[in-house]
Amino acid sequence: MAAILEAHDLAKRYRLGATTVDALRGVSLAVDEGEFVALMGPSGSGKSTLLQLLGGLDRPTAGEVVLQGEMISQLSDDAATKLRRDRTGFVFQSFNLIPLLDVTENVALPFTISGADTSKGEISERIRDVIALVELAGKERHKPDQLSAGEQQRVAIARALVTRPALLFADEPTGNLDYTTGTEILEALWRSCVERHQTVVLVTHDSKAAAYADRVLVISDGRIRDEIVLGRRSEHDTGPLVSRLAELGL
Amino acid sequence: MGGLSSLAIRSLAARRGRTGLSVVGIALGVAVLYASLATDAGIAASIGRTVRHLVGRADLRVESFGPVGLSAESLAAIDAAPGVAVAAPALQRRTYLPPAENDASAAPAPVTVLGIEPGPEASVRDLVLAGGVPLSGPDASEALISATLAAANGTALGDTITLPKLGGDEAPVDLTVVGIVAGDGPILGSAGRTVILPLHTMQRLFDDATVSRVDIVAGEGASPAEVSTAIGVALTSQPYVISTPASVADSLRSSSADFRSTTALIAAVALFVGAFLIFNTLSMTVSERVRELGLLRAAGATRRQLVGFVVVQAIVLGILGGLLGLVAGFVLAELMAADLRSIASIPFERVDPSLGSIVAVVAIGLGVTVAAAIEPARRASSIPPVEALRDRIDPTTARRARLAWLVGVFVVVGIAGLLTWPRDAGFAGLARSGLVYLVLFGAVLTAPFVLGALGRLAGLPFRGVLRVEERLARASIVRDRSRTTLTVGALAIGLAMVVAIGGVAHQSRLAASVWLDEVIPGDELVTSIRPIALDEDVIGQLAAIDGVARVSPFAVFEVARNGVRMDAAAVVGGDMLADGRLRFIDGDRTAALNDLDKGGVAVLPRSIAERTGLTVGSTLTLAVGEGKVADLRVAGVTERTLPGGVGEAVLVGWPDATAVFGVAGADVLAVRYVPGKAAEARPVLEEAARTAALEPNPLETVAGAVDTALAQVFGLFDALALVAVVVAALGIVNTLTVSVLERVRELGVLRAAGMTRDQVRRTVVVEAGILGIVGSVLGIVTGLIAGAILVLLAGGGPLILDLPWLSIAAALVLGIGISMAASWYPARLASRLAIVAAVQHE
Repeated sequence: MAAILEAHDLAKRYRLGATTVDALRGVSLAVDEGEFVALMGPSGSGKSTLLQLLGGLDRPTAGEVVLQGEMISQLSDDAATKLRRDRTGFVFQSFNLIPLLDVTENVALPFTISGADTSKGEISERIRDVIALVELAGKERHKPDQLSAGEQQRVAIARALVTRPALLFADEPTGNLDYTTGTEILEALWRSCVERHQTVVLVTHDSKAAAYADRVLVISDGRIRDEIVLGRRSEHDTGPLVSRLAELGL
Repeated sequence: MGGLSSLAIRSLAARRGRTGLSVVGIALGVAVLYASLATDAGIAASIGRTVRHLVGRADLRVESFGPVGLSAESLAAIDAAPGVAVAAPALQRRTYLPPAENDASAAPAPVTVLGIEPGPEASVRDLVLAGGVPLSGPDASEALISATLAAANGTALGDTITLPKLGGDEAPVDLTVVGIVAGDGPILGSAGRTVILPLHTMQRLFDDATVSRVDIVAGEGASPAEVSTAIGVALTSQPYVISTPASVADSLRSSSADFRSTTALIAAVALFVGAFLIFNTLSMTVSERVRELGLLRAAGATRRQLVGFVVVQAIVLGILGGLLGLVAGFVLAELMAADLRSIASIPFERVDPSLGSIVAVVAIGLGVTVAAAIEPARRASSIPPVEALRDRIDPTTARRARLAWLVGVFVVVGIAGLLTWPRDAGFAGLARSGLVYLVLFGAVLTAPFVLGALGRLAGLPFRGVLRVEERLARASIVRDRSRTTLTVGALAIGLAMVVAIGGVAHQSRLAASVWLDEVIPGDELVTSIRPIALDEDVIGQLAAIDGVARVSPFAVFEVARNGVRMDAAAVVGGDMLADGRLRFIDGDRTAALNDLDKGGVAVLPRSIAERTGLTVGSTLTLAVGEGKVADLRVAGVTERTLPGGVGEAVLVGWPDATAVFGVAGADVLAVRYVPGKAAEARPVLEEAARTAALEPNPLETVAGAVDTALAQVFGLFDALALVAVVVAALGIVNTLTVSVLERVRELGVLRAAGMTRDQVRRTVVVEAGILGIVGSVLGIVTGLIAGAILVLLAGGGPLILDLPWLSIAAALVLGIGISMAASWYPARLASRLAIVAAVQHE
């Protein structure tokens, strides 16, 4: 399968006053279309930084990111914005729903930003479909404060999926959720891969979340330490992952 | 912008309180602007009406200069001048109507008498009659009276009106009322008590062959300028003044220039403070919504779209504020008109500004709001999309407002002020106001640097009693310096205007009381509507009253030096010397005052001496007509002298006043009582004065009248300046509310640790109190500087070093009081936070 996303020797350096911090040091990876990849590592390992670079939210200090054959790492702000609107979707740890908007309006946000009419036609149908995908049918008019944490995160996933992005990036999507709700979210993400051939890149420190992935890239100290291939599984047993992590001393 | 404009508007609607406060803030600024424009339009219309009333259809008016009227020779010269089609002479004097026979104890009532030639007068102006017929000729024993006078006296057509005959012991003259002039009649300032006589009849009555003025209509093909030149050639026997309708209007406009420029300045300040409110509110909104704005960026919103997001909110606020401001402005204009009617020297009727002006006012409100939104919008657009990924918002990345952007707001409001500045208020007023505006803005830019020190000082009063609350309050204040600066700055500007206006009023009162204390040689001023000759019995009669030490006559009249009009006053030098008045700064006091009574000398006030460069020993040359001049030796220079029409008066002795300048008599008698005998002597003197048709005025009454007049004008300015303070208070409500919302978790933890609701409430109130003290101190210092600028540049005389303590105290009380009142809602909000929800708050 062709790689939809590639990174070559990515590095990111931050200046904090007189000190410099190398958050990433020469990371290279490739993600195939339809693949579910997890970036896993402890806090401060550089996984979130890597996600930001892969998603075009930030620019690397060195190296390049290629998405669908196009180098995106040095795009202008407007071009990067267009990329985020049309070809990527993001799910955040803190849901980040707009409190004033209901479920349908939050899901439709990317189309609203682009000025499209979300009330009819193919776009309206797509919004309905993706709300059904995350099992929130019947709650279209609910505001975020009328939803549980899990439901809010599912709305966020629906928003990320509605534009049928080439890639969906999820940064610790279960970080603020309990075990059961977190499982629901991960199931939703996994279903999008299976049913819609969605490519997902998940950042997590939790092995239970990483166990949903087809492949886990272990990041430590700004580098990819190891690659653990789990394959596409209907049961997301953490055993093989945990064993390998133990071997790595993590 | 796409669909984000809908989200922007919904965001405004979701925060109704804050949106409402912002709309009201802009509305108040627009209201003051509208009221200022409406008042200006009203004044312009009133001036136009007054000029038409005064000058009628005349192209020129020739008036006598000095106390002597235009002679028959001058009148003939004017009549014969080329280009003069109609010359309508008129004589105007004041006299008394004798009391009725059945009420001999009543005081004589003053009236203004106007003598006209009916034929030429009808060519110049229309005398609208409510009844009867016009005067039949210049010699008839007839009179027209105003309807107001007719109603007051119960006089009807065909009745007789009796007027005293001046000169000699002849009996009063009866005249038949043949017509009643509508309303108050044609003379302004007569309070409607007007009698119109045939000219020659009046001249006989007053034993005066001169006329006060001649109104001229230019003939076909002759321009007013050509006629004016011709008259200048023909009229050489005595000094005169030629004016046109335009110059009369200019004179009236210049007398109202200070008032109009002050209201325009206050309008600009109110708008500026409103802009502050918007700047602060939108800045706080951006800071609060960093994550949401980061999400929008992450979801594909461009920087331009986020700029538009904030600007749309500003446009909505500006339009709503502008429309509400129009309504409020209409009400404010009505209130100002009511006030002006009672204090204006010309009849004032409110006029609504034109449609164009209304549109301009709304557009200015909108423009100022959008200008204030630019920096917050720019900051919103610079929020990077990674902010959406952060677990907690880093306070430093919320990016505080850059106060330098206030310069842009300042410039926009300044331009708006220039566009709406009353064009004919003069450049001097504009320059003065511009300088004050700069000083106010300078105060805002200074605020960040003094905030820390002033905040610590301001906390001192609270520290002793409310130590914990004071500590927390100060920490909150410095959490976001730019927000605090904007809040305090707005309050300081509003209070600075209050103090500046108070300072100008105080200086005016001081100048008036200094004049009364240092110049007037009397405890009471007895005024006369006709000149009292120095040999008249009445002066001796008043002086003979037991308890009266001295009765000193003086008169103010016009003179000219090098073609420039000046005021002169005839005084008795000996009386001034005996009374100990006049502070000499050059020259021998005794010699100078004694020499005044001998004639040939003058005493100058410092203001005239500095302006003309004359010193003791110099020669003051004044025009006396027929090409002649009078040379007076300058015998002394005093700190100040009597006020005249355009400035302070040159003092001359009575011998010069009567023999050289033709002054007929005194306008005022200054009465000094023997110490300890005033209580007995005053009622006797006042009774005697009224019997002689004179008006007694104790100095306290004169001072009180001055105070009342000043209070009316400055009270209006204070009320307008208070609008800016109210807008600043709205900003404080906003700031404190957001401050509470930012600290919800912190307050929750404090409550969980044992802090009571009252302590939490007091923390917010103390924060408001500290803001109020800082704003007041900054406002007071700025206001004193601004007030000094207004006084010094207005040329009203030297600055008297005396602080307006009342205004300073008022500003302090107002600043602290209004701040603490504004804290009511935020304090309540803070004290009612549920602990559990608060500690879980993100």
